[in-house]
Amino acid sequence: MSTHGKPMSIRDALYEAPGPRTRRRMIIGTVLSLAAVAVGIALIVRQFYVTGQLAPRYWTFLGQATTWRYLFQGFRGTLAVALTAGVLSLILGLVLMLGRTSGIKPLSVACRVVTDFFRGVPSLLLIYFFFLVVPQYGIKLSSFWMITLPVMLAASGVLAEVLRAGVNAVPRGQVEAAMSLGMRPARIMFKIVLPQAIRFVIPSLISQLVVVVKDTTVAYVVSYPDLMQNARVLITNYDALVSMYFTVAVVYILLNFAINKLSAVIAERLGVKIIR
Amino acid sequence: MGLSELLSTYGQLYLTGLVTTWWMTAVSFAFVMVLSVAITVMRISPLKPLRLVGDLYVQIFRNIPGVALLVIIVYALPNLRLVLDYRTCVIVTTILMGSAFGSENFMSGINTIGVGQIEAARSLGLTFRQIIQQIVIPQALRSAVLPMTNLLIAVMLTTALGSQVPMSPQELTGVVSYINTRSTGGILAFLIAALGYVGTAAVIGLAGNRLDKKVRILR
Amino acid sequence: MTMDTRDDVPVIELRHVEKHFGDLHVLRDINLKVSRGEVLVVIGPSGSGKSTMCRTINRLETIDSGEILIEGKPLPAEGRELAAMRAELGMVFQSFNLFAHKTILENVTLGPIDVLGMKREDAEKRAMELLARVGVAEQAAKVPAQLSGGQQQRVAIARSLAMNPKAMMFDEPTSALDPEMINEVLDVMVELARGGMTMVVVTHEMNFARRVADRVVFMADGQIVEEGAPDEFFDHPATQRARDFLDSIKGH
Repeated sequence: MSTHGKPMSIRDALYEAPGPRTRRRMIIGTVLSLAAVAVGIALIVRQFYVTGQLAPRYWTFLGQATTWRYLFQGFRGTLAVALTAGVLSLILGLVLMLGRTSGIKPLSVACRVVTDFFRGVPSLLLIYFFFLVVPQYGIKLSSFWMITLPVMLAASGVLAEVLRAGVNAVPRGQVEAAMSLGMRPARIMFKIVLPQAIRFVIPSLISQLVVVVKDTTVAYVVSYPDLMQNARVLITNYDALVSMYFTVAVVYILLNFAINKLSAVIAERLGVKIIR
Repeated sequence: MGLSELLSTYGQLYLTGLVTTWWMTAVSFAFVMVLSVAITVMRISPLKPLRLVGDLYVQIFRNIPGVALLVIIVYALPNLRLVLDYRTCVIVTTILMGSAFGSENFMSGINTIGVGQIEAARSLGLTFRQIIQQIVIPQALRSAVLPMTNLLIAVMLTTALGSQVPMSPQELTGVVSYINTRSTGGILAFLIAALGYVGTAAVIGLAGNRLDKKVRILR
Repeated sequence: MTMDTRDDVPVIELRHVEKHFGDLHVLRDINLKVSRGEVLVVIGPSGSGKSTMCRTINRLETIDSGEILIEGKPLPAEGRELAAMRAELGMVFQSFNLFAHKTILENVTLGPIDVLGMKREDAEKRAMELLARVGVAEQAAKVPAQLSGGQQQRVAIARSLAMNPKAMMFDEPTSALDPEMINEVLDVMVELARGGMTMVVVTHEMNFARRVADRVVFMADGQIVEEGAPDEFFDHPATQRARDFLDSIKGH
């Protein structure tokens, strides 16, 4: 606990300011580990090289505008599914949370069961439900909804729990103060508790968008043209599988990294923690 | 298809699917734990290059979608002369993703310890190794129980990626896809599998909560 | 306890110690000797460098230049030598810093068993004596979070005492405590001082300083501005800086 300067992370606090002997060892260790990392990278690059994957014909298509235009179309598809599913799951999650905290026993139990159900099944299983099972009952869904609905349901269970954690984080005194003013429970929930709860969980809600984005990548199962699906189409066109898949993976990683970063920045600004 | 018909025709398949999901989960999780520890050690090591590699690993594998990673391992790696059988591909995907989150859990477990306790241990004359053994590891492990329980459930759900590749025997989600493409199993066919997942998750959650109550560190 | 006036090697000695935090010059040419059995109380406004100075003595803070000697030997820079030296110096923190996952008893026996190589039974017996001495023996099986701040700080003192230290540093030991708990900790410290423990105490408790200190050191802006016997210092401060400080704390 230094009274001055930077707040110290535990990661650094594990180590003392080094003495001369430690400093020497650190330099040697740094050089050795740097060499090991370099060798690792070299081996990977070499593997790409000897298997011919560095050949220009696998990578030149990345310089073509049409490639990116088509990928961007897919990216828009991904965003459309992710944002629609995100918004809908927020609404459903809110409903589930309100039901669970309503104090009405049967409703609360039902909402709990539904929440636990959607949290406990793989989103792929939900996708197969909408892709294979729902049509058996004569219901025709567009491919957009066949991917959006399962992704939405899977997220809603998690969001219900995140929102509930937010509600629990609102100090009890707030509710008591509101009750002493003669406010009715529902009014207290919507006027006093929820606005604060949502403020607590905004960063967590944003970071859950990462899970939604990840779930959208199975859109190819229902042939919805998202980023992944369009990448697969391009692969057959260009016969450039390795480079294409790595490129798409990087796009997803950067997108999700950005979402996580945004969530962390907002969390810091609001002074709240991210619940996962 | 009614329940009895469904079970008589596909009961064995469901059971094998559930057991397959279980053991794929168990194997993956064991490796997830080992790798999580290794990655965490890199991330808290005093050597910058190792820290960087550890951080990068976590950022890549916590942000990559499971499907994207799976297709790379299944379809791209053979072009780089690394061929794994399908099941191994699924397990490796699960391990890579799971260990990124596992390391995050350990890191936040370590973060709850606080600089003060380290300084107190140092003041008593404990060496670095003793501080790690006596103060850091026990606390990090104990406060990671609940997050790791959730991770175990997440690992189980991730093994559903197995439905995207041919495997025999199939895991639970693959079984549902198989049944529904062959006959009209209806909502029941789906619910049986869902029950397998939800039930397993509930048991894991319960066990995790009990263990957590036992070892939780009061603060 | 009267001060030992033998021409002995000081237990702790700081010579021309300098330290910066970035642009901030936190310790300026600090020179200090603490003799065996002496109780040295360090006071001063916040940000004066008094905590930092206290923490340099067992190298929780490093110094830029100067020397720190423990019984005439330079404080080692690292490794086992440093750990061994620290084992001989007690340190009590503002925020107690008990090990959250260990019981009170384990907190007190960890050092003796792992550092001094004591047998468990012996360590536990000694720990129970010390816990009784600071008045928390009945809490031995609990974990720190179950104790009040005052109790935790007394355990922290017992934890340090278990190492049979040559000297003890107290870094604002009562600053994090509720008012009603301050005295229970100060009483233990008074007891220690009477028993002849060599102590460096950074504190805002002026009554304690007046009652117990053999010498008071007043720091401001990283410098030792004034030092002397407590009555002398409190009744006739020599510098304007010290007078202002004493007035400011009398205000409330």
